[in-house]
Amino acid sequence: MKIIKTCLSAAISSVLIFSPMAYADKWSDQFPHIKATGDIPGDCSYEEMSKKNYKGKTLKINTHAVPVIGQPTALHAEQFAKLTGAKVDVTHTPAGDLYAKAMVPFKAGQAPYDIVFGFSNFINDWKRYLAPVPKKYINSPEMKDVTKSHIGVSSWDGTMYQYPVDGDRHYLKYRKDVIDNPEMQKKYKADTGKELRVPRTWKEYGEMAKYFNGWDWDGDGEKEYGSAEVMKKDDLMFAAFFSRSVAYAKNLSTPGGFFFDLETMKPNINNPGFVEALTDWVEATKYVPPGGINFGLGDEIGSFGGGQTLFSFSWDDAFIAAMQDDSPIKNKVGAAPLPGADRVWNRNTNGWENRYNQAPYIVWGWAVGVAKKSKVKDMAFDYLCFFSNGANHQADLAIGNFGVNPFKNSDFDPNIYIDTMGWDPEIANSYTKTLLDMEKSKNRVFPLRVPGVFEFTSAVATGTSKALAGQLSPQEALDEVAKEWEAIVQRVGKKAVQDAYAVGVKMEDNKL
Amino acid sequence: MNFKHKYVFLFPGLFVLIGILIFPIIFVVRLSLSGWNSYNGLNFIGLENYVRLFTDDPRFWQSFLRLSFLSVTTVILQYVIGFALAHMVWKDIKFQRFFRVLFLIPMMTTPVIMTVIWRTFFHESLGPVNDILSNFGMSPKWLTDPVLAKFTVIIVEVWQWTPFMFLLLLAGLLSLPKEPFLAAAIDGASPVRKFLYVTFPLMAPISIGAIIIRLIEASKIMDTVYVLTSGGPGTATETSSFYIFIKGLREFQMGYAASMSFTYLIIMIISLTVIAKVLTKVLLKD
Amino acid sequence: MGKLYKFLKYFFITFWAVFVVAPFLWAISTSFKDFNSVNGGATYIPWVDFEPKLEGWKVLIKSPANGGVDIVEPYFNSLFVTCTASLISIVLGTLSAYALSRFTFKAGFVKNNDITFFFISQRIMPPIVLSIPFFLFLGAINLLDSLIGLIVVYIVLLMPIAVWIMVDFFNKVPREIDETALIDGCNPYQAFFKVVLPNSIPGLIVAGMFCIIFGWIDFFFAFILTFTEVQLLPVKIVALNSSITPWWSLSASALVSVAPLIIVAFIVERYLSKGNLSGAIK
Repeated sequence: MKIIKTCLSAAISSVLIFSPMAYADKWSDQFPHIKATGDIPGDCSYEEMSKKNYKGKTLKINTHAVPVIGQPTALHAEQFAKLTGAKVDVTHTPAGDLYAKAMVPFKAGQAPYDIVFGFSNFINDWKRYLAPVPKKYINSPEMKDVTKSHIGVSSWDGTMYQYPVDGDRHYLKYRKDVIDNPEMQKKYKADTGKELRVPRTWKEYGEMAKYFNGWDWDGDGEKEYGSAEVMKKDDLMFAAFFSRSVAYAKNLSTPGGFFFDLETMKPNINNPGFVEALTDWVEATKYVPPGGINFGLGDEIGSFGGGQTLFSFSWDDAFIAAMQDDSPIKNKVGAAPLPGADRVWNRNTNGWENRYNQAPYIVWGWAVGVAKKSKVKDMAFDYLCFFSNGANHQADLAIGNFGVNPFKNSDFDPNIYIDTMGWDPEIANSYTKTLLDMEKSKNRVFPLRVPGVFEFTSAVATGTSKALAGQLSPQEALDEVAKEWEAIVQRVGKKAVQDAYAVGVKMEDNKL
Repeated sequence: MNFKHKYVFLFPGLFVLIGILIFPIIFVVRLSLSGWNSYNGLNFIGLENYVRLFTDDPRFWQSFLRLSFLSVTTVILQYVIGFALAHMVWKDIKFQRFFRVLFLIPMMTTPVIMTVIWRTFFHESLGPVNDILSNFGMSPKWLTDPVLAKFTVIIVEVWQWTPFMFLLLLAGLLSLPKEPFLAAAIDGASPVRKFLYVTFPLMAPISIGAIIIRLIEASKIMDTVYVLTSGGPGTATETSSFYIFIKGLREFQMGYAASMSFTYLIIMIISLTVIAKVLTKVLLKD
Repeated sequence: MGKLYKFLKYFFITFWAVFVVAPFLWAISTSFKDFNSVNGGATYIPWVDFEPKLEGWKVLIKSPANGGVDIVEPYFNSLFVTCTASLISIVLGTLSAYALSRFTFKAGFVKNNDITFFFISQRIMPPIVLSIPFFLFLGAINLLDSLIGLIVVYIVLLMPIAVWIMVDFFNKVPREIDETALIDGCNPYQAFFKVVLPNSIPGLIVAGMFCIIFGWIDFFFAFILTFTEVQLLPVKIVALNSSITPWWSLSASALVSVAPLIIVAFIVERYLSKGNLSGAIK
C-alpha cells in the first residue's frame, strides 16, 4: 500500500504519466536504491539512460565529503556507469575546500574535473569557467518542476550555469515536546508571565532559549540548553548572522539592496538593523551549550540533532538528523519559518518602523556545474540530469544523510515524508508548509553573489566573531566590517560589484 | 684532499632542490606584485600589496605577534620537556624500550585528523576533559575563552611535537662519546654538575639545530588552529600562517597572500639568523 | 637525593605517558560509537556506557556509494610516495650534508653555514602560496595527479630536514676517522661510505624517520596536486568530514593511519641503541 501511494504521488508529480509500475520491476530489481518508486519516466530516467552508450569515456567529478551530497554523487555515478558503460571517477572534498580545489585548476587554465560541486554563491567566480546548461535540459518537464527561487539561484541574469540538484534554506527548528507541551507552557507562563509558543520574533526566541538553558528539561539525566548555532569563525558563520539580520534589516518598502545600497554601493551592514541583530546574537552566547561559540555546522547538527538544545536554525541537516529512525527525538521536533522582529529598520527614513517583519533568507546551498573545458560535456549534463531524475530524487530525499533537500514543486507534498520516512503527519505538514511559504514570500533575501564573495563573507565572519568573543561592541564590529567591505569594493572595482549585485537585487525586488 | 670531490657530494642535492624550487620561488615573487584573485589574473600592480600590508593591515601584524608568542612558548616547552624525557630514558630505567617508543608516537599522527580528536577531547559539553573536571566543579572554556584557547593550542602542539625534540635529543645523547663522562666520574662530580658541565655542553650543537628547525615548523602552525578554533574566538588564536591561508585559499587573494608570505619569509629568515647567533653565543660559550 | 630524583623521574615519566596515551584511549572508545552515543554526552567504556557499533571502522573499507571512503588504495599510495621520497631525500641530503660538514665552500659572502641555512630555509615558506606555482610547474611537466609528481614535491619538503640533521651528526663524527681512512688508501667516496656513514647510523635513522613522518602526515600538497587518479591517505580520510563531523570514523582512521609508523618507531628505537654501540667500538 505504502509503495503504491508513493508511486502515485510520484507519478502525479512527473508530467508524463505513463505507467511507472511497468518500469518499476525491471529497474528497481537492478537498482535497489529506487525500489520505492521504480523508474519514473522522464528525459533522464533509467530507461532513457540505458539507451546511451558512453563506453570508453571517463567522467571526472569533484564532490563533497561522504555522506552529505558525496554519497548520492558516488551512488548515482555507479548507477550511471552501469547504465551507460562510462567510467566515472569521483573524488570527495570537505566543504570548506571545494572552492579552492576547483578554483586552483580553473585559474591555471585546466579542467581536471568535468563536474564540480560547490555552493550556489560561487556562481559569480565560477561562471566564466562553466558551461551553461543546454536548452534541451532547461526545457525538460523535470526542470519545469523546479521552484522559481531555485532556478534563480542556479542562474546568472537569466543564464543557467548550475544544474539544480538540491534545495537549501534556513529555517527554525524547535523541540515540539517542549514548546507544545501544556505543562511546560503552564510553567513558563507562571515563571515569566509570557506564552510559550513557536517564537515569532528573535526576542521571544532569546527569552525562551534563556529560560530553557542549563537544566534537564527532558528528563534524560543530562543538562539541556537553549540554542545551537553556527558561531565558529569559519565560512558558514556569516550565513547564520544574515539569517538573524533579515528580520531587522530587510524592509519590503525599501527596495534596492539588502547588503548594499545598490545606487551608491555603500554597505548597509552597519545600519541599526544589522547592529540589533548582532546585539541579539551576542546575547545568544549566554544560552548556547558550553563551547557553543566554537560550534561549526557539524556541531550544530550534532547538538540539536542529538537532543541537546531547544532551538536551532540553519540548513535542513539538524532537523533531518533529529528525524532519523534511530534518533531519540524522532517526531519530537518541529519546523517553522525563521523568527521575525517587532520592528524593522528603514534606511530611507533612517528610522525604525514599528511593525512585525519577517523575511526568509534563501541561503545558498549545493550547486553543481560542468566545466567549460570538459571534453565530455554531453555526458556530464546527462549525468546531472540523471542525478536528479524523478526516481533518484525521491529516493535521495528519503535518506536523511544524503543531504538532498526539496527543490521541486512536487517535493512539497507532505505524504512523501509521512510514507517513506515515517514522519508524524503534523510535522510533515508544518515542514512542507514552512518551505513552501518561503517560496511564496515576496520579502526574500538571496545570498550575496558578487565577485570576490569570499572576501565579503570572510570580513563578516571576522567582525561578528570579534563581537561574539567580546573583543568589540556590535556597532564597532560592524563598522569595521563596513570599512572592510568598502575597501573590497574599491579593490574589486565598484562597477563590477555593482553590476553583479544588481542581478541579485532584481530577484529580491521580485523583478526577475 | 682532492678539491673537486666536495662538489660531487654537495651538488646533487643542491641542484635538485634549486631545480625544483627555482620556478615556484620566482613565481611567488611575481605573484606578490600582482592582484591575482578570483576575478583578476596575473596583472602587474607594483608594490600595492606591500603598501597595503605595511600601512593598512594591523590584523597581519597582530597575528604575527600572536604567532611569535605561540611558537616561542611551544618550542621552549617542547625543548625542556623533550630534553627531560630523553635524559630520563637515556639509561637504566624500567621498560626503557616501551617508553622510548611510546614517547615517539604523537608525532606520527596526521595533524589534520588528530586535531579533530583533540577538539572532541576538549569539547566543552561532550568531551571527556570537562566531563571529568565537572565532578570537581570546574568547567574551563578550553576553546571559547580567548586566553585559554591559546593554551589549548599550545597543549596540542606540545603533545604533537615534543617527540621531535625527544628523538633528536635522545639520538644526540646516545651518540655522545664516553670519555668525558668517565673523567667526570673519576672526579666524583655530582649528577647535577655532570649534567651542567658535561652533558649539556656536548648537547649544545644539536640543541641549536633542533630549536631552529622546530621554530620553523611551529611557525607554520595551521591545521591545529584551523580545526580547533578556526582562529577564534574572535581573532584570539589567529596566526600569520592561518591568516595567509584565509586570504590565500579561502578568499583567493593569492597576490596579497604571496606578498604576505614573502614578507613573512624575510622576517623569519632574519629572526632565525639572529636567534641562531644568540643561541650559539649563549650555549657554545667559546 | 638519589631516591627523590628517582621518584620524580618515574612520576614525570608516568605523567607524560598518561598524557600521550589519553587522546588515543579516547579515540579508541570513540571509534566504536555512533551519532547518538557521541551526542548524548561523554561516555567511555563500551557495553557499560554505550552500545558499541562498528560503523566507524566499516566506513574505512566501504565504497563511497555505500557511504564509506575505501582507504585501501590510498594507504598503499601513501606508503609508496612517502618511502620513495624519503629514500631519495636521505641519499641526496646525506651527500650534501657530508660535503657541508667536511669541506669548506666559499662563494662571495656565502659560506658553509649559509648554504646549510639555505636548505632549511626552504621549509619556512607557508605552503599555501607555493601551491599555485607547484600546480603550474607540475602541470607544465605533466605530472599533476601522479605519484611521481608528489614525490618530486615531497623531495623539496623532506631533503632540507635530512641535510639539517645530518650536518649536525657528521660534525660529531671526528674528522680523524676520514683522514685515517684516506691515508689507508681509500678514495673520498669509499671513506664516506665505509667509514663515516656507519658511524652516523643514529643520525641516518633519525633523519629517515623525520622524512617518513613529514611525508606521511602532509595533507596540503597531496590535496592540491591530485585530482582523481591518485589519492593519498590523509586526503581520503578528510573526505569523511562531511556536514556532520563523524567523530567515530575519524577516530578509527586516526588509529589506522598511525599504525605503520609505530612499527617504524620500534625499528628506530632498536637502531638507535645499535648506533651507539658501533660508535663506541670504532
